[in-house]
Amino acid sequence: MTTISEFLTYPFIQRALFASLMVGILCPFVGNFVLLRRMSFFSDAISHSAFAGLAAGALLGVDLSISSMVVAIMIALMIAFMSEKSGLSHDTVIGVAFSGAIATGMLILGMLKGYRAEVFNYLFGDILAVSKTDLVLLMAVSVLTIALIIVFLKPLLQLTFNRDLARVDGINVRLFEYMLFVIIAIVVTVSLKIVGLILVTSMLIVPAASARNMAKSMKGLLALSCLFGMISGITGMLGSLYLNTSSGPTIVLCSIGIFFITLFAGPRMNN
Amino acid sequence: MIALSVDNLCVKAGDLHLVENVSFAVEQGSIIAIIGPNGAGKTTLIKAILGLIPYGPGTVSFFGREQDGRPDDIKLGYVPQKIDFDRTFPLTVYELLSFSVPPFYSLSLNMKRKEQEHIYMLLQKVGAGDLLRRQVGSLSGGELQRVMIAKALVNNPAILVLDEPASGVDIEGQERFHELVRRLNRDTGLTVLLISHDLNVVYRYADNVLCMNRRLICTGKPEVALTDEVIKSVYGEMMGGYIHSCHDHD
Repeated sequence: MTTISEFLTYPFIQRALFASLMVGILCPFVGNFVLLRRMSFFSDAISHSAFAGLAAGALLGVDLSISSMVVAIMIALMIAFMSEKSGLSHDTVIGVAFSGAIATGMLILGMLKGYRAEVFNYLFGDILAVSKTDLVLLMAVSVLTIALIIVFLKPLLQLTFNRDLARVDGINVRLFEYMLFVIIAIVVTVSLKIVGLILVTSMLIVPAASARNMAKSMKGLLALSCLFGMISGITGMLGSLYLNTSSGPTIVLCSIGIFFITLFAGPRMNN
Repeated sequence: MIALSVDNLCVKAGDLHLVENVSFAVEQGSIIAIIGPNGAGKTTLIKAILGLIPYGPGTVSFFGREQDGRPDDIKLGYVPQKIDFDRTFPLTVYELLSFSVPPFYSLSLNMKRKEQEHIYMLLQKVGAGDLLRRQVGSLSGGELQRVMIAKALVNNPAILVLDEPASGVDIEGQERFHELVRRLNRDTGLTVLLISHDLNVVYRYADNVLCMNRRLICTGKPEVALTDEVIKSVYGEMMGGYIHSCHDHD
């Protein structure tokens, strides 16, 4: 039987571990805003929009990472624009976009000949298939996204707290909301290959929710969410190797384990 | 000098006029109270002034300069009637106030220290120095109000807009709050626009009053503008005698 230390010598395992670590930091960091703004349905819609992008990419022979990202960004901007202009609630617009994206994806998939494994790999994630190019893209997105959020942390938190107060303070609320929507779309799509379309929202939400059980400040929330995401990513990845299970669900289950530990250990259940 | 001038301002929702042809001016350094029954358009009026909702026709000018929407270089402070936020948001009072301190981002330790000193000084000024490290979600109604006033003052605003800020607070808390507003007005020359339902507050603290019910009903010094007829027409017969008790109390 191959031991964990032997596994760690394989380059594809090293890449998988590094990818799970990066996703473990990136997703919760952005997920804090998804959670604070109660946008988990939005991130779900974006991940399902990426499905339409994947199908379109397969049909047109375009790189699936690029096609899914382009479609996800387009849908994110469309949701933001329609919510703003129509006066309809976010939930209504997201529900329509979500259904439209799934239906489009299924329609296109039906037009493709044969079984398209590369599309279905994105549904459940295939961390062991992460290439060097995927890692570079993930790394670049992580560094840029985290830097952008740190630089604009004040206006992003201000508008998350209260939009009207942000506007009175002179913050361009529309610009920062659109920026946040695009960031979520990019983060969701680069994480698809690792945790899969179905579970990507969990990686955004669960470590951030665990951090919220313990954090006493916003800085604490951001730091703890990344820490819990990293622990979930690494333990989930190693656990999946040891137990011979799928890596995406194992990572998510580890993060859910951390959620319950923090819930019962934190002040929420002990006051 | 006129700090704020509103001319023939209209706000519509479809065909319905929420605010209709309202005009008034506010002297720099004065406190003006806006009164009117529920649904009179008071909050709509100040939201239009703040640039939070579209309006038209009509104009809003700050210090003689007409603005279309939110003024860019004239800082305004705003304390809304109800602050709708998630109380489990793990946000400290210090962090909340720091959002409004420019620049967006700085690596300079000196800047950070200045930011901390400024925030602490503001909290001290509103009697909330001990709340610096508390979580915003754990504050009582009165504590939250004082913190929100400090937040509204972070950028040294020219005009402070308060939308029924004392609602939901006990009488002692309301008294302390209005004394604080008057002290800020006197000490710093801050112009204050205040929505209130309490005629006592209007008589005691406001230099001028603006009475409206979608349209402007009267404006001027409270003791002159708020006649029995005006009060009765706005609030009904029951309030007719109340005005005298307010006068006497004052």
